[in-house]
Amino acid sequence: MEFLSYLSPMFFVLIVAGALVGVIFGAIPGMTATMAVAVCLPLTYALDLTNGLALLLGLYVGGISGGMVPAVLLNIPGTPSSITTTFDGYPMAKKGEGERALKISIVASLFGGLFSAGVLFYFAPLLADFAIKFSYVEKFLIIFLALTVIASLTKNMLMGIFSGVLGVWLSLIGTYEITDGGNGETRLMFDFMEYYLVSGFSLLPVLIGIFGITTILQDAEKGFKGDAASPTIKLTTGSRFSFNVFKGQLTNLVRSSSIGTFVGMLPGVGGSAASVLAYTQEKNFSRDSSQMGNGAPQGLVASESSNNALTGGALVPLLSLGIPGDSTTAILIGAFTLQGIQVGPLFIGDNLDTWYIMIAALVLANLVMFGIMFFAIRYIAKVIEVPKHILYPIIVMMCVVGAYAINYGIMFDVWTLLIFGVFGYIATKVGIELVPLIIGFILGGSAEVYFVKSLESYGTLTVFFTKSPIAVFLWALIVLSLAFSIYIRLRARKKESLASYS
Amino acid sequence: MESQFLSLFEVSIAFEESHLFFPRIVTWVLLGLFALIVLIKAKKVTPALRRAGQAVMHGNEGFDRKRFFGTIFLIVIYFYLMAVVGNVFPNTGYGFLFVSIPFIFVLSVLYVEEKTKKNLLVIAINAVVAPVLAWYVLSQLFRITLP
Amino acid sequence: MTNMKNHLRKLVCAVAIAGTAGASMSSFAADCPIPGNLRVVIGSTSTGGDTYQNSSIVADHLAKKLDINAKVDAVGAMAGFRALDRSRNGNTVMIFHDQAYLGNLYGVKGYDNIFEKYTVGPTVAINPGNAYLVPKDSPYQNIDDVIAAAGEGKEIRVAIQPGGVSEIGFSALKNAVKIEHPGKEGNVVAVNTGSQADKNQLLFDDMADVINGSVQANEQYTRLPADDQKAMRFVWLTARNDTIKQTNEEGMGKTSQKDLLQYVNPNVTVPQDDSQNFTFDKEFFFLYNKDMDPKAVECIDNALEEIYAEGSIQEQQKKSFFIPNFKPSSEAQAYLEDKRDQYKTIIENIK
Repeated sequence: MEFLSYLSPMFFVLIVAGALVGVIFGAIPGMTATMAVAVCLPLTYALDLTNGLALLLGLYVGGISGGMVPAVLLNIPGTPSSITTTFDGYPMAKKGEGERALKISIVASLFGGLFSAGVLFYFAPLLADFAIKFSYVEKFLIIFLALTVIASLTKNMLMGIFSGVLGVWLSLIGTYEITDGGNGETRLMFDFMEYYLVSGFSLLPVLIGIFGITTILQDAEKGFKGDAASPTIKLTTGSRFSFNVFKGQLTNLVRSSSIGTFVGMLPGVGGSAASVLAYTQEKNFSRDSSQMGNGAPQGLVASESSNNALTGGALVPLLSLGIPGDSTTAILIGAFTLQGIQVGPLFIGDNLDTWYIMIAALVLANLVMFGIMFFAIRYIAKVIEVPKHILYPIIVMMCVVGAYAINYGIMFDVWTLLIFGVFGYIATKVGIELVPLIIGFILGGSAEVYFVKSLESYGTLTVFFTKSPIAVFLWALIVLSLAFSIYIRLRARKKESLASYS
Repeated sequence: MESQFLSLFEVSIAFEESHLFFPRIVTWVLLGLFALIVLIKAKKVTPALRRAGQAVMHGNEGFDRKRFFGTIFLIVIYFYLMAVVGNVFPNTGYGFLFVSIPFIFVLSVLYVEEKTKKNLLVIAINAVVAPVLAWYVLSQLFRITLP
Repeated sequence: MTNMKNHLRKLVCAVAIAGTAGASMSSFAADCPIPGNLRVVIGSTSTGGDTYQNSSIVADHLAKKLDINAKVDAVGAMAGFRALDRSRNGNTVMIFHDQAYLGNLYGVKGYDNIFEKYTVGPTVAINPGNAYLVPKDSPYQNIDDVIAAAGEGKEIRVAIQPGGVSEIGFSALKNAVKIEHPGKEGNVVAVNTGSQADKNQLLFDDMADVINGSVQANEQYTRLPADDQKAMRFVWLTARNDTIKQTNEEGMGKTSQKDLLQYVNPNVTVPQDDSQNFTFDKEFFFLYNKDMDPKAVECIDNALEEIYAEGSIQEQQKKSFFIPNFKPSSEAQAYLEDKRDQYKTIIENIK
């Protein structure tokens, strides 16, 4: 318990400050956890390692959690990993249960965060050894699995798949980056577009364009008359929050948190896959998933517990292999090296004190996040009572900030907002589904790299089936998940036709 | 026999061409799905297009042309001027600050239903306070790069 | 109403502060046309990587010395070059490393000849960590074994990131095989991949015999017990002997400077031509827009000269495992151009 001597009042102050700033960053559409950590990194130069970590981990946990706020209240995911939170959160908010939805999400987040911190603490080195069993082939299959779950999220199967593939296609525009091992050539564009499209479309501007700007255009079309002008949503007309919601959700919590932790562990797979996987697994395997998508608490629980579980998961490869699990932990490496601390397979053994401090900071950050959000949520949720003619212009402005800042100042990213805002508007008119599209877009890039690299390494398609027992297991999951989504669709259709007869 | 069968699955990718390998597959799948959709839904396509065209051209009920196209127009102007003004005061974020204020004001006025004095006052205050606050906190305190 | 007044007061304050911040010019020298807000773009998109770290150390010192604001933006190579193209008045400068010209030598799209298109500014530091590693149980004890094995017709798979800093050591290795075993250089093949994680993974999967890595990222792997699947061994550091000698004596982790020197020329030899062995130091330097005021170029040179004379920057760089290496613009230009020409010969020789 020697590490306790490192914990000063400053340590707690910084965790609270970090979590608070993180929550605010996460809650503003367009700002992300990664950005929060990146902009505060220079502040840690002046701090020692312990306090620096307190601040950064607070920011990380707060940022990931804050993403639920706009997802629930505005239908705009604050961070890519809170897409699935919109599915049930926004319908609940529309029913007047915004506060309840947020409180459910916060409790689920806390569970996910603590669960993954526990897993990190007890199993990190073991899990790292397991994670390196995932080569190109297995990583591709994980991504493929996440892509196939699109099928169970769509309203119309054919259009949904088309939308997903379109998302993948859009993500491939640009350069086959040499930093991914590609050859640095551009594709899917005409020469004259190269100046703008050389780096392709960035994820965050696409995401907030498609969710934020599209929503604004759709409301503008309706003209803000009558109902649309004033906020249609009343804050607390629906049922109130109580912990009874979590009855029977333990399996869901544990499953979703495990998925979150595990996907967070795999470098290069991308955190957004975690919440998508967790959400669809809940949909496929829970006893009653008929209300999911219309405001079912279980959907929120799956989404939010898995995306907060990413935090502990992403720290596993960082602390036991020296490899960041996601873009945010990549910045943490910078913080370590600045303090002269090396990360790698021997990190934990060499720096036991730092290791305990990190776990303590992570657990505390989750508790603080819970404290801040659970009690502040009543005021935060008031956002939706702001009239739209005030709220929407501010959202556009904040989307601009987020888009411009995500790649440290690229004007084309701001235009991407508008391009995808208009695209999203037209796409919904012709029946393209935006959620599968964005999931395809998020996963497309890594799907390509791992697919092409698998083939380059092994030279045959059969390797996807024969590479390892893990690959076979993943195929089983893929088949199972497809079968379930078809089964659920048929069952729903049967119910519908029965209902229409009676 | 078996090896012949297996050789069907063999793929070799030249590194110089590897940037096209996956996009080609995806493009073909996309076109295939598109053809399938057109085949299945051919009947619905033309009337839907006509309806959309009418909505845009004549602004039928439920399509507010002024606010819809006004929004797009304002956003285009906003983005464009932001870069222009930003170049006049490089690396300060003034482009963002100075252009956001009129943008928020005009967009709010466009959206507000009743242009009462009280509403306009709130809009005006918001149009100044929100950008200044955002600019000050993000650009000055957190040193985030703004246009 | 008071609330509103407060808001207004704050607003006036903010605008006033902003005005003075924008107007404050450097007090460093009267004829120093550096803007009060300098943007430093870097050729990497990572804020956890070596380019960002090194650049922020330099930018911070520069900002203090010139009494300006300097902000490092990790925009990446392509966007960085573009920002530089647009910034005729020197509001934006770039810090990048040898990738800037190696990308051009390897014909990567978007990399122009920096010596023609931009003004090459001062060098500031070296990252001495560029390394090549093998699995701990590899039959190859050192780089000579690797070259000999290739000469005997064995395929040597080297995991690298194509088109730059990571590939140049591979090219040199191939060139060395060509010199010692003409016609056998085809046995050295590149396994093109991306991040360090992917390179390590290829080694764990036995899909590569040698990987490119770094002292910073891989040192702990070299300390793992031999029966661990993840265990690795250094066989070659590309840095010059003099460069490694300037590291702190403790070296990195538990690998001391003395240990590191074992893997450096002349203890490890990779012949470049008849007269010399190949070495490669990853050096960080400034790039400016061609139209930037020569006075500004001179001003940054002078400011850096003073900063390096004071000595605190060196300590900070060494703490983060960088080797201080200040060369003013004119010297840096000639030096880097010569470096480029040498590597050009190697790359052309193995084409």
